[in-house]
Amino acid sequence: MQAPSYVWHFGVIWDYRAVFVRGATVTAQLTFWSLVIGLALGLLLGTLRSSTRWFLRAPAALYIEFFRSTPVLVQLVWIYYSLPILTGLQMGNVASVSVGLGLHAAAYFAEIFRAGIASIDRGQTDAAKSLGMSYFQMMRRIVMPQAVRRMIPPFINELATLIKLTTLGSVLAVYELLHEANNLINNTYRPLEIYTALAVAFAIIIYPFIWLSQRLEQYWKVRS
Amino acid sequence: MNPVLRIRNLHKRFGELEVLRGIDLEIAQGEVLVVIGPSGSGKSTLLRCMNFLEEYEQGEVYFFDQLVGYRRGASGRLVRDNPRHLNKVRAQMGMVFQSFNLFPHMSVLENVIEGPVIVLKEKKEAAIGRATKLIERVGLIDKLNVYPSKLSGGQQQRAAIARALAMRPKAMLFDEPTSALDPELVGEVLEVMKSLAADGMTMVIVTHEMGFAREVADRVVMIDEGRIVEIGPPARIFNTPTHPRTIDFLRRVLH
Repeated sequence: MQAPSYVWHFGVIWDYRAVFVRGATVTAQLTFWSLVIGLALGLLLGTLRSSTRWFLRAPAALYIEFFRSTPVLVQLVWIYYSLPILTGLQMGNVASVSVGLGLHAAAYFAEIFRAGIASIDRGQTDAAKSLGMSYFQMMRRIVMPQAVRRMIPPFINELATLIKLTTLGSVLAVYELLHEANNLINNTYRPLEIYTALAVAFAIIIYPFIWLSQRLEQYWKVRS
Repeated sequence: MNPVLRIRNLHKRFGELEVLRGIDLEIAQGEVLVVIGPSGSGKSTLLRCMNFLEEYEQGEVYFFDQLVGYRRGASGRLVRDNPRHLNKVRAQMGMVFQSFNLFPHMSVLENVIEGPVIVLKEKKEAAIGRATKLIERVGLIDKLNVYPSKLSGGQQQRAAIARALAMRPKAMLFDEPTSALDPELVGEVLEVMKSLAADGMTMVIVTHEMGFAREVADRVVMIDEGRIVEIGPPARIFNTPTHPRTIDFLRRVLH
């Protein structure tokens, strides 16, 4: 008995390395912009959701739960195809994916911010106030340094997810890594090699963040 | 001389529960006042109202003739004080907590200079100089650069006292400072507090340490169900209590 024979040709990856670099550049762009949007909006939403006033809290909660309970793919398609019909606002496909993923990630970042800040013991804020600290001094010096340490692991998790979600850009014909890879397969008929390389490319992009997160945890374990 | 703290008809409720039901109290310059009473009597709440960590809704707290947490509006009614002024008032009162509440991401030295540098805007070098002396005073000079998680409870509480003292407070509030400590660590914290009292610091102390109260307090106030039931010098309160609640409470804690 012999296993079905397949002759791997990984040389094709090297031949088309420029395509991978080009795709990775777009993937990085999508990640960057959706991260910027997601963090800014997420910080706002997380703050609103922590508010004691219901009319600030309720809309933020509605947004967060809506974006967490609907598929990202539907959100992206909706922003690209339905938004122009409703509002006349037509964004390019790269912008649509960046905004769509940003709006989506914001819901998750908001929860990370909120939970991180809520996890800080009341005694810490009591102590800060008793020293006469203002709200901003307290947040900057006492609450955030402790909260950020707790936010890093879930944040890196969400970042890794976000990077992988950029592959949904291929549906809107954005030339990110997956879309470039699919085109390459059509030209070379080498799907196995190319998908393998694609997986490796994502691992190369994502792993450094995971490594960094682990190093930070170690670093802070010593200093506390 | 004007009292350091003056409390008039103080009420505080948590929803349906009225925790403080009209407290009147004055604390004189240099006085050590010990607050005793059963758990749930409102003594910690009373202490936390003094620096507005707990927001009272009726009555007045004055710190050197300044209202704490409120100011008089144009109509004479009390309106919420602006945060900047409240923070200034708070900065003049040191507070020590049952659970220490040191900042875990800072070393002992960093904890102690935090208030002076961030709130009082002192130069860092000057703050370090003063902090080092205070840390030495509470016996932690060999723990200067150690993080709180590496300290015993007694050491943490002494560091917390140094942190409060670094603000050069005009009064110190102690909220059950030894209740979370292992019995063998209580003494070292009480020693530091005794030395503060000997220096003439104005102190309000909520505690269950009756021996300490008897020895150090100028006056002892017994609180029950949100009211002052008895107040006087420790010898009188402990030896000849008159109110049945005090008699009952002392019988239970002293045996």
